[in-house]
Amino acid sequence: MKLFSLIENEVIKMISKKRLMFVLAILVVLISVFAYGQKQTLERTKAQLSQRMGITATDDWRKLADQQLIDMKNRLESPYRDEKDKSSLLVRMEQLQYNLDHNLNPLEQSAAKFSTKFMEQAIFLFLPLLIIMLAADMVSGESSSGTIKLLLVRNVPRWKILLSKYLTLIILEVIVLFFAFVLSVIISGFFFGFGGWFAPIATGFKVLAGKLDTSSVFNVPQWQYSLMVYSLAYFVAVVVGSISFMISILVKSTAASIGIIMSTLVAGNFISFFLTDWKITRYMFMVNLRLTDYLSGSFQPIEGMTMLFSITVLLGWTIASVIISFVYFTKQDILV
Amino acid sequence: MFKKSMWYSIITIALVCFIVLSIGFYQAIMVTSKVSAQPSAKAQVPQVSEDSAKPSSKNATSFKILIMGDSIAKGTGDEKSKGFSSYLSEYFKNNTSKEILVDNVGIDGLGSLGLQEQLDSRRLDKTILDSDMILVSIGGNDLRSILSLNNLTKEDEFKVRLDNYLNNLKQTIKDLRTANPNSIVIFLGLYNPYEKATSVEDTRLLNTWNYDTQQLVEEDGKWIFIPTYDLMKYNLGRYIAKDGLHPNSAGYQALSNRISKSVEAIISNLSTQ
Repeated sequence: MKLFSLIENEVIKMISKKRLMFVLAILVVLISVFAYGQKQTLERTKAQLSQRMGITATDDWRKLADQQLIDMKNRLESPYRDEKDKSSLLVRMEQLQYNLDHNLNPLEQSAAKFSTKFMEQAIFLFLPLLIIMLAADMVSGESSSGTIKLLLVRNVPRWKILLSKYLTLIILEVIVLFFAFVLSVIISGFFFGFGGWFAPIATGFKVLAGKLDTSSVFNVPQWQYSLMVYSLAYFVAVVVGSISFMISILVKSTAASIGIIMSTLVAGNFISFFLTDWKITRYMFMVNLRLTDYLSGSFQPIEGMTMLFSITVLLGWTIASVIISFVYFTKQDILV
Repeated sequence: MFKKSMWYSIITIALVCFIVLSIGFYQAIMVTSKVSAQPSAKAQVPQVSEDSAKPSSKNATSFKILIMGDSIAKGTGDEKSKGFSSYLSEYFKNNTSKEILVDNVGIDGLGSLGLQEQLDSRRLDKTILDSDMILVSIGGNDLRSILSLNNLTKEDEFKVRLDNYLNNLKQTIKDLRTANPNSIVIFLGLYNPYEKATSVEDTRLLNTWNYDTQQLVEEDGKWIFIPTYDLMKYNLGRYIAKDGLHPNSAGYQALSNRISKSVEAIISNLSTQ
């Protein structure tokens, strides 16, 4: 039997199991809640600002932006300026200039901003949980319901069956990311408008000697930034998917495998507190999931932890779990 | 049939997205790990040379002012980009026939520690020695972030910061006096740009800060503390810039006017020497 039709079979099985629908439903509900929450926060910020700086401060943002632009130009020309500030100043000026040119109040949200922000926040816990819902069930579900027998008695090698399941998982992860993006754009678009795709966003932060280094920052357009964020999110999805895939093969029980991987993820959030002085923690996959922070510069600067380091660690975990999955699945005795 | 078409649409979406996401992933790695994506950063702005190149011997025909400290010293917030540098010399013109030269070494966001480091670097020694009058504005950045703390930790944190600040300032006063034994130093007090959103308690802290500063500053006979608090209090709308923190053009003029009134006599005195 060809691999392609095996995958087709698996995908259709997943769809008819309604699990994917649950994931999408959760996405719709949560994105709506977040978008509404963002709108509330926005209004509160505006209210606070106008209380502190006078009622005109929020509508009259152009004057403030003009002022800031002048100040930054002066700063740039000052001979006593810190050399390291230069590129962050240039980046900031470019952003303000863009806001002024396109009449965009920097306070306002947009669908582009929201959908990116959403994924940046979701990447280390929410997205992995959605992926676990799909992945943890793929093999253990068949074991517990006994259908794995029917799969294995067919004249197909075991590795081919497992490969088809793994590739199905990879396809479903793309679909989840795709819908996360489309849904967050559509839903937040109703709240904030659909624009904002060409606004410049700063990126290119580095860590030098344990400190965040902004000397090489530059702007990329928002659409490119969003693309990078979602790509990293997809990578994270594949990593978490592979690991929970392995666990679901090892423990054979859906509930147990979901429990194991979820507690590991949550524990990862605690463990990141020890990152600076407990070296071994940085090789755990859970603390490396916040890949998008390297783009936005909002990470805890630790010497030796870079994008490449995190990706290598995650890749190592993925390859290891895939190998373990295949070896274990082809060797094990299946007694159902 | 429905499932078949669903399968095809899923596999198409998946393939297309997969390719797009791979490109994005590659870009993300490039962006965060390439050495420098923009060549402009190095070449664009030419290095401005130090002011020491200027001929700066102390002579009888010029009156030199050095302005140092934080963004207020620098003139941030002035929509005409002038700040003290130009207003002070305008006001002083009436009191002296000498040519007025101004050096402004203010840096946005500078705290008392930063000012001390600036002095420690010794790059300013010559400029300080040459100046007849020095204007110092510092402390706002030391104090500012305290407002966001809750009342429980505020009091303690305030004490810590005040102590640090006073220590730094003490050292600064000493260093300035060593570098130039004769210059008059004007120290600007702090005002409260958030008057409308401030509790009585916060006002008390600010007053303590200003009072302690004044005590310290005027231990040296040639330092003068000029309060700004009273001038700004009911004039926030007129004197504060759009950023809600720095003085605007009118604010800098008002402050410069006050400063010039306070030191009028000294300047005329110096000029007639």
